[in-house]
Amino acid sequence: MRLFNRIWSRTFAYVVLLGFTAFFVVPVIWLLLSPTKTDHELVVGNPFAIGTLHNLSHAIHVMFTFEDYALLNWLKNSAIYSFGGIVIALACSIPAGYGLAHTQFIGRRTLLGVTLFVMIMPATALVLPLFLEANAVHAVGTPWSVILPFSFFPFGVYLAYIFYSSSVPKDLLAAARIDGCNEWNVFRRVALPLARPIIALVTFFAFVANWNNFFLPFVMLPNSTNYPLPVGLQDLLAATPAFNPGQGGQVPIYRPELAIATIVAMAPVLIVFLFAQRSLVSGMLAGATKE
Amino acid sequence: MCPVTLEKLTKVYPNGYEAVHEFDLEVADGEFMVLVGPSGCGKTTAMRMVAGLEQISSGTLRIGDRIMNDVSPRDRDIAMVFQNYALYPHMTVGENIGFALKMKHTPKQEIVNKVRDTAEILGLTEWIDRKPGQLSGGQRQRVAMGRAIVREPKVFLMDEPLSNLDAKLRVQMRAEVARIQRRLGVATIYVTHDQVEAMTMGDRVAVMRAGVLLQCDKPQRIYDSPVNIFVAGFMGSPSMNLFEASLGEGARSLRLGSQEIVLPASVLAARPSLVKYANNEIVIGVRPESLAMAGPKRSASGNETVQFEGDVDLIEALGSEILVHFSTDAHRVEAEGMYSDDAEGLEAGSITRPGDGVARMAPDTQVTIGSRIKLQMNTKRLYFFDAVTGLSIEE
Ligand SMILES: Nc1ncnc2c1ncn2[C@@H]1O[C@H](COP(=O)(O)OP(=O)(O)OP(=O)(O)O)[C@@H](O)[C@H]1O
Ligand SMILES: [Mg+2]
Repeated sequence: MRLFNRIWSRTFAYVVLLGFTAFFVVPVIWLLLSPTKTDHELVVGNPFAIGTLHNLSHAIHVMFTFEDYALLNWLKNSAIYSFGGIVIALACSIPAGYGLAHTQFIGRRTLLGVTLFVMIMPATALVLPLFLEANAVHAVGTPWSVILPFSFFPFGVYLAYIFYSSSVPKDLLAAARIDGCNEWNVFRRVALPLARPIIALVTFFAFVANWNNFFLPFVMLPNSTNYPLPVGLQDLLAATPAFNPGQGGQVPIYRPELAIATIVAMAPVLIVFLFAQRSLVSGMLAGATKE
Repeated sequence: MCPVTLEKLTKVYPNGYEAVHEFDLEVADGEFMVLVGPSGCGKTTAMRMVAGLEQISSGTLRIGDRIMNDVSPRDRDIAMVFQNYALYPHMTVGENIGFALKMKHTPKQEIVNKVRDTAEILGLTEWIDRKPGQLSGGQRQRVAMGRAIVREPKVFLMDEPLSNLDAKLRVQMRAEVARIQRRLGVATIYVTHDQVEAMTMGDRVAVMRAGVLLQCDKPQRIYDSPVNIFVAGFMGSPSMNLFEASLGEGARSLRLGSQEIVLPASVLAARPSLVKYANNEIVIGVRPESLAMAGPKRSASGNETVQFEGDVDLIEALGSEILVHFSTDAHRVEAEGMYSDDAEGLEAGSITRPGDGVARMAPDTQVTIGSRIKLQMNTKRLYFFDAVTGLSIEE
């Protein structure tokens, strides 16, 4: 009887798991197969049918040469904005978290509260004020109008704060002071090297957020040569007859080609994730156990 | 030549708590000073003030001739071993040991040599490329020691460096630390709440309680003539038996519970001021090893001994000796926070209930649980304390 029950609960678990797997994996498979088909096959054919290599290379060719290699240009822009934002975010958030965790100053608690508050505030809510601000300093349309808002990353400050206050004992820093470090060296030689998992974590989260951010660059950058990928994709959508029947003048883009662009936009996040996975896990566990 | 002088050192924490109160201490060059006291009495705070990790609220700290109150830790030329070792987890053992030298811009080759020598002294050569996370507690403790001794500092500070080790390793490291300190001849302040460490390691021992220094002297002197009830009870394991008693007319007798003990004249001769306590409450103390079974005949020094009776509750056989726990109807006295809660204290038999006493006797002593025994002690080994102030009545 008991064995019977166990088999049933197992089966049930597997069915649920398979259901969810199918739910999430099917669209991905469909997307990956799309560029191998023609636009017509894509719509009417078996969704899991595999098309031809010829279709694939055609789609790639069309997509990459579209508007004088615009896709590559957007890819480059995305990389510059994302990494520019990350570098500044790291340079600010790690020392800020360290300072909040290990020094006493007036307003420290207030600052922590504010950090938490802006962290949970949706980024899109800030886009319009930021635009007005950028406009006031004549930065609209420049890369800085995107990079600077990207580098504002309170979540990173909070992560660093949690890490330093929970996983780096005060005595460790005291030991460094006694061993002859001034305050800068305490940070540089002891606190910073210890933060490696947190640096990986902040880098990853900031990268995903920046790379996928659509609204802010959409508002800030009027010129198509400055677009990052998500905004460029939206441009492509507008050039696709199936989605924008009224489109005219431009070279039309078809859905298999659009799928290529989507895959190009997704790939970097996947790759970064695969490489960062190990330090990410250790970063998320940071503070869970005391050293 | 670098003595350390603490003059009326006081620490008031930002929340208003006074953790150390007008603390005076002078550690001579090369001296091993043990700072001992119950948990929370301010030992770490006092040490951190010497290290410069904690602002001094008032008082003066001198190292050598220099006033150090406002000198930053890195300029004090002190080395410290932390209670939890505080090793740099991202550096290897070798890098940990050599870190201070590196920060002093010592030439590379010299660092390598010194680190190698230090590792050898401490038996760490094998682990020099490991990270602290891959070491056992005892090995980590030695790395922490290595980090301190490689610098050849003016002063060593050690905050309960052995408290995280198991009992056996602790005994072994106790000797090792003392040996290294003797060889380097550096003024050392060693914090512990373990009175065995205090007795065995220090040139002198400073006993603290609630932020105040009670007594600072050679370990044997502290053991033999404690200034008050607290020091008497704290030093020694099992601790001194302390009972409420009242002194009779002319201080010639002592009432202990329902028993009347006649005191020989020599007691009063040695402590004339006892007369002042005649017909008054006092506290008497006797160390467990000073108690013996009263034989059928009085011993040779018969007129110098006194006797009293107790019921045997418990006998603990420790192999080399037995601890006989007995109860009397006298009130046992306990100074607050007198007993350290650390495991070694428990092993050694401080599991007496209030009202009980302990006697330490030879293993072949004939006693049975439940029997009533006659205990005797030499009056020279009897301690008298003022019941109100707790101070020892010495003369
Ligand atoms: N930062 C602080 N703010 C306020 N009070 C503190 C602070 N640090 C310590 N104290 C208090 O000061 C007292 C002395 O603490 P300290 O750490 O010096 O004790 P200790 O003698 O080293 O004890 P232990 O043997 O448990 O290590 C304690 O009562 C503690 O609660
Ligand atoms: Mg302490």
